[in-house]
Amino acid sequence: MYDTLLFFHLLAAFILAVTVVIYSAVAVGVPAPGRALFVADRCWDVGGLGTLILGIWLALYLDEYDIFDGWIIGAIVLWFVATGLGQSLQRRMASGDTTAVATMHWIRTLVVLGLLVLMVWKPGA
Amino acid sequence: MSVIAAIRPDDWNLPLFLHILGAMLLVGSLVLVVTAIAADNLRLGFRTLLIAVIPSWIVMRVAAQWIASKENVDDLDPTPAWVDIGYSTSEGSLLLLIVATICAGLAARRARGGGLRTATLVLVAVSLIAYVVAIWAMSTKPS
Repeated sequence: MYDTLLFFHLLAAFILAVTVVIYSAVAVGVPAPGRALFVADRCWDVGGLGTLILGIWLALYLDEYDIFDGWIIGAIVLWFVATGLGQSLQRRMASGDTTAVATMHWIRTLVVLGLLVLMVWKPGA
Repeated sequence: MSVIAAIRPDDWNLPLFLHILGAMLLVGSLVLVVTAIAADNLRLGFRTLLIAVIPSWIVMRVAAQWIASKENVDDLDPTPAWVDIGYSTSEGSLLLLIVATICAGLAARRARGGGLRTATLVLVAVSLIAYVVAIWAMSTKPS
């Protein structure tokens, strides 16, 4: 059970990375095709939900971790920050308002990197 | 093995972080290649393979070797299946990625990609499937 949960949790994180890479290309000025942005946005939706649900499930399943551990609470907070930025980015891109899109994307990228750091180092675990 | 992995020594963290980061960038940039080439943007597909995919592969593979040396998994006899799966998918896929880069480069120089475009898409798709298998092997660690 643990292995299956971890596999799908990791897979969801890799799906999130698709969004980060495609939006990074857009942020550096690459004229990405509309289909790429559609894929990036859907990956953000699926990867975001997958990492959160499976991550919490893992924390509840494993005796070694507690849902109220500092690094897990920190990860959930970062997840909400990244999700908020992602939703805002999607809305701006859909309405053609590209002001601050690159800045918001790079902040989101840093937040996602922060999530990966927390998942690997697990401070306080 | 999984529980051991959950409480690994601190000095394994940096190579593990770089390994996962490289692998994430590799998968993300491969999906960008697929969407670009599917939309007939061969130039973007080629550039992504050259600038993002190959360097990400190097980061992933070098960090994999780094953490393997820390964990001493290469000294185990027999080598665990998940390690063999990791090595075979990463090294096998490098050949596919190099051929895909050459195909995409040649296709981008022509007005129409034709067979080269299809070949690139197939090679990248096979690599992506191999990486899903590798993610499964790394997370479930079959012995």
